[in-house]
Amino acid sequence: MAPDIHPFTLLLASIFTSNILLANFLGMCSFISISKDMTSSNGLGMAVTGVLTITGMINWVVLKYVLVPLDLLYLRFIVFIVVIAATVQVLEMVIDRISPTLYMALGIFLPLITVNCAILGVSLFMEIRNYTFIQTTFFSLGSGLGWWMAIMALSAIQKKIANAPVPAGLKGPGITLITIGFMAMAFIGFSGMLIVQ
Amino acid sequence: MNFLVAPLTIASIAGGFAALISIVDKHVNDYGDVTININSDKKNLDVRGGDSLLTTLSSEGIFIPSACGGRGSCGACKCKIVTDVGPHLPTEVPYLTKEEMGDNIRLACQIKVKKDLELQIPDELFNVKQFIGRVEKIVDLTHDIKEVLIDIGEETIDFDAGAYVQLVVPPYGKIKDINQRAYSMSSRPSDKSHIEMLIRLVPGGIATTWVHTLLKEGDKVDVIGPFGDFRKSETNSAMICVAGGSGMAPFKSILYDMFEKNDTQREVWYFFGARTEKDLFYLQELRDLQEKWSNFHFVPALSEPDTTGKWQGETGLITDVLDRYLKEVIGDKEREGYLCGSPGMINACNNVFTENGMDLDKIYYDSFA
Amino acid sequence: MKKTPEILSAERNMVPGVITAEGFLGDDDLSLSEIITRDECEMRALRLEFNVVADILEHIMAEGEKGLGEPITIEDRWLVQVLEAKGALPCPFTHDGLYKKTAAEITCLKSRETILVTELSLHLLRQHHFLQGKGSSFRLEPSKLGVIFCE
Repeated sequence: MAPDIHPFTLLLASIFTSNILLANFLGMCSFISISKDMTSSNGLGMAVTGVLTITGMINWVVLKYVLVPLDLLYLRFIVFIVVIAATVQVLEMVIDRISPTLYMALGIFLPLITVNCAILGVSLFMEIRNYTFIQTTFFSLGSGLGWWMAIMALSAIQKKIANAPVPAGLKGPGITLITIGFMAMAFIGFSGMLIVQ
Repeated sequence: MNFLVAPLTIASIAGGFAALISIVDKHVNDYGDVTININSDKKNLDVRGGDSLLTTLSSEGIFIPSACGGRGSCGACKCKIVTDVGPHLPTEVPYLTKEEMGDNIRLACQIKVKKDLELQIPDELFNVKQFIGRVEKIVDLTHDIKEVLIDIGEETIDFDAGAYVQLVVPPYGKIKDINQRAYSMSSRPSDKSHIEMLIRLVPGGIATTWVHTLLKEGDKVDVIGPFGDFRKSETNSAMICVAGGSGMAPFKSILYDMFEKNDTQREVWYFFGARTEKDLFYLQELRDLQEKWSNFHFVPALSEPDTTGKWQGETGLITDVLDRYLKEVIGDKEREGYLCGSPGMINACNNVFTENGMDLDKIYYDSFA
Repeated sequence: MKKTPEILSAERNMVPGVITAEGFLGDDDLSLSEIITRDECEMRALRLEFNVVADILEHIMAEGEKGLGEPITIEDRWLVQVLEAKGALPCPFTHDGLYKKTAAEITCLKSRETILVTELSLHLLRQHHFLQGKGSSFRLEPSKLGVIFCE
């Protein structure tokens, strides 16, 4: 049964209190690598938000009108991944056409969005928590926005840290992971404020 | 039959999305027809979009110089694109100075034609044609330099002495792609139906290996040209020319052209440096020219003549010989320098010239390196 | 192992005919990353550091260029001849610069061992730890790099 949560609550919850990245730790790899550069982070954040929203919606439709009636729930993993892969492929072609510079800047991380666990994670959350279509849309959009906000925040922090005296052994991935840890701890302060299921 | 439901569902979902991707691909990569406006409407082209500007233009008969055949590894295809085609790509940046980037100079091989464009290219490029020629003669001048004469048949080539052409190298051996490399023309402008080049074998070189091992008389070759702005000035200053090996090519063209046109009032010096006797060529031809043209002086110099003592000419490094002549023989008149050779040799000669009081902006070099 | 786009495009550029007639991979069966790893191990085993080797070779080449194409003796240890051809070669690792077509033949006077170093192969050694595949004429074999220490 769909939980009785207002879609707007879900939107705010998925951005702040239940941030897909900082509370659920999904979508880390591109988060850590692309956050070195602010313009690419911005572009990737936009791309991930787009993919999340679109795939969330399509997957809900496929789940409700194909998988459940045909009793094929066990196929949800494969089907969701196919949908995500196709969406990312189309997005790649569109980005290449609109902005070759962004396409080159994102490099391998654009096709890597396909295996970004945040994308599959959101679809699976939607399925487990029995969201309605509107709830799914707002939840996916919010998760995307939350991911985008987190990567922008991390890239801003990394810009500041670049001038700080970080010990040599911790430079790069080391200090980044520590920073993410601190960001996550800060966001724990929000936990429980809004329910998501 | 129930077991078919699952595979069929997955197949149709996957198939449906595959169809969607193909449709989007066709739509997104179809840039339609575009118009290219060159030199403020001097020439307008209606073309299909999607290819690089370099390729699109060459398929319409406009050839922008390219020493690497459009690979993005030579920087020769610079042109000014007035229309905004986006920020400079990382593949263009290594070849452009800040001024060039500010002036909208782009690399034609890296810009994809996606919409109507307006660009500016030097007017001389309208004179550039692609020639399908036949190898008429190949002569071994030294152990590693060949003289290649190409007959371009009914076509004619119009150029100023000192220009170069791009030789098209077809796939051969393990090499699967077409390549292009630039060579100065040693033939005279008056001979409009032939193109001659002097080609030295470079170890591991794509074009020179092909020329030296596979090219035969009678073979068909494609050549694009003329390009370049290395030519003699229109002043009356003495011309001090220095070149060794295949660097002689543009000078052969310039010297014989001058002699043919009776442009013989200027004092012309040609310093030809080599290591040993077997690295010299055209000795007799140039000595003959010296006999007929009183203002032309030919100075060959060997840095390691063999010990038989047969060599009667100058010895030593060409830069030392040049220095000596500048001080003792040529003296302090109006002089211009003309250089064709490797960057190291050009640098060394530049130093000799400037130490002898010559102005850097009166020194010209064949610059397609 | 999955190849990054940088390695993929570098491998494509190393095939014969793209940048040089012979290519950079020689007859080696290994992939580019494997060649680099194997050679890094060999260099470590011989206690050779890439940067140190590159510095010494660069110094020898710079001194050798003064010969303007003729063989010249340097510091009484090496006989060097540096030849240059017109044009430039791009590094196969994209966007990593253009290199003059300079080739130096360096011979240790004492042991008579010779290696052939080009400006590009020097850059590949220093920046990318890539010594070129076995069988390539321009490969910098680690065991032969000992020539730089010749007395």
